Amino acid sequence: MTVKQLTHTQGLGAIIGVVIMLAAFTMIDVSGWWTRQTIANVVQFTAILGFVAMGQALVIMCKEIDLSVGSVYGLTGVAFITLEPTLGVPGSLLAALVIAALAGLVQAIAVVKGQLPSMIVTLGGLFTARGIIYVWTGGSVHNFSEDARNHPVTRLLGGELFGIEAAIFWLIAVGLALNLLLWVTPFGNQLLATGGSKESAESRGVRSNRVKVTAFVLCALLAGFAGVLTLCDRPQTHVTLGELMELEAISAAVIGGCLLTGGRGSLVGAVLGAFIVVSFRYELIALGAPSSWYITFVGVVLIVAVIFNQLLARRLGHSV
Amino acid sequence: MKLTCKVLATTLLAATALSSVAVAQDQKQYRFVMVSHIGSNDPNMGWLTKSMEEFEKKYPNVKTEYISTNNYSVQEHVRLLEQAISTGPDGIAVPIVSSDAFEGPLRKAIDAGIPVVAFNIPDARPDGERIPYLTYVGGDEYLTGKKLGEYALAKVEAGEIPKPTRVVCASHDSAHQGLKARCAGMRDAMEKAGAKVDELFIGAEPATARNTLQSFLQANTDTNYVFTVAGWSSPWAWGVAKDMGLDPDVDGKGVTVLTVDEGPVSIEGVRAGHLLATNSQGFWLQGYAPMEWLYWNKEFGYAPQSDILTGPVIINKDNADNWATLVRGVFGDKAYDEQNTW
Repeated sequence: MTVKQLTHTQGLGAIIGVVIMLAAFTMIDVSGWWTRQTIANVVQFTAILGFVAMGQALVIMCKEIDLSVGSVYGLTGVAFITLEPTLGVPGSLLAALVIAALAGLVQAIAVVKGQLPSMIVTLGGLFTARGIIYVWTGGSVHNFSEDARNHPVTRLLGGELFGIEAAIFWLIAVGLALNLLLWVTPFGNQLLATGGSKESAESRGVRSNRVKVTAFVLCALLAGFAGVLTLCDRPQTHVTLGELMELEAISAAVIGGCLLTGGRGSLVGAVLGAFIVVSFRYELIALGAPSSWYITFVGVVLIVAVIFNQLLARRLGHSV
Repeated sequence: MKLTCKVLATTLLAATALSSVAVAQDQKQYRFVMVSHIGSNDPNMGWLTKSMEEFEKKYPNVKTEYISTNNYSVQEHVRLLEQAISTGPDGIAVPIVSSDAFEGPLRKAIDAGIPVVAFNIPDARPDGERIPYLTYVGGDEYLTGKKLGEYALAKVEAGEIPKPTRVVCASHDSAHQGLKARCAGMRDAMEKAGAKVDELFIGAEPATARNTLQSFLQANTDTNYVFTVAGWSSPWAWGVAKDMGLDPDVDGKGVTVLTVDEGPVSIEGVRAGHLLATNSQGFWLQGYAPMEWLYWNKEFGYAPQSDILTGPVIINKDNADNWATLVRGVFGDKAYDEQNTW
């Protein structure tokens, strides 16, 4: 990547943020931070949040927002575990992902056909999906049978491959595929054009409603897949699965360079944003701060990142 | 003769029916409401609702209602409480999750003649200052932590588990007075043995909680005891320690995990040797006894003169089998097995 290409990278702010953060952590906690265990811990959870953040980035790029991703993550996970005795592991995986996709589709249709604000629709989706989890589980936790835990699909999606968490491989694979979709196929241009100016995009033949529906469905699918990956690693449902994850995902996407005004964003940036968010949690705990400070720091980092990204974009001559 | 028989039979039927109505009217009808923070997202709700069903069977003239929050917040709980008071129930049972927040609405209810029983969590302030409820029925959260800590230390003395160097009390709700009291009890027990005790807010979302706890254990390598203040988070703690190679099973080395609750996860964790001990705070009694006291108060004017402790009862490997039998009886085999997440 040339310097020119780098400066045009939408996630440049996140790259700079990661470099500054790593430098700071190295200075204050070199022996604690640069250990295999620490990096493995941070990267493992980054992988899960990264999926949800990438989905959120896609939706934000087309000037919408999805507040339901945490609940969809939870609902998909619950579906995967509770349907397994009836459908088997592959069947419940498929059914769970269909549920996730349907959640995205229904919300997308309400947004584009009903001309409703996505914030309201997905807020409703958040409560609806969470309520379904409560009713479905009856407040109980559920477990995978020993056979289901040892099923090849479960082992492929969860646990470790070559000593590295499987979720990381999946993030790389899905991340590459989505980046190709965004930067090589016409869908990427259509998505950014829809987010930049819907009217202008439509005047050039972009079917912006279809683009938005695709973004919402992809977002829900990514959140659902993250839920499945989590439960393949630890096959125990809980009604709080994914609670508040939507806020972390939005933070990660915004820290990663997505503008809430649409038309700009980066999937790599969203993953780096997730890395920053998770790293801060680790380092605050490592430094002895009460873990409840974490959410405050995410707030501060979010505001700083927005200001920084805007300044950076203006300096590089991009519209914000 | 035929007509006389008909008149007599009709009179007899009417007299029987009227006397039944009179008996039914003699028995007062009551409605008691339990306003709880233990929602349908918490398996412990079953203890309370099932014991209230048993109470209704014994007292058919009493209707009990269970209302609760799911996404817990003190504000939401207060709102539910105010809604319950406005319906004019004959009695209220409520956990005093926040003395300050509950003081206003509960004093108003008591002034209006609605008897209140605190359950699960008491108003921790001294007698003259606390909300003037009838009595408290529940465990003692401070004693829960303290007795579990003391039990662990007894096992250390017996040479069965390692001496504690650092204990982390992993809590999912930073505003819950009861959970804080559990940690305080554990702190008081363990600090006497020379261990350092930290309180860690891990949240209730499983992946986030595991990540937070793992971060803590990596940064504080001298931690060798984890106390999860909810039973359902104990497998998370055990799993994290296992992944980190910290040998979390109950033996003479590595990390020792303690938890609370008499649910399937906690009991089966003890039986499997993953958890040293858990505790029962007598959840079944916490659903039943407040209703009984509200009934006795309304019907006969009785008032207990002290709090009624239903726990803590230590559940360890010696009595876990009996507890499993008891809990299976309440939850049913299917639910019990489904909820065993080990």
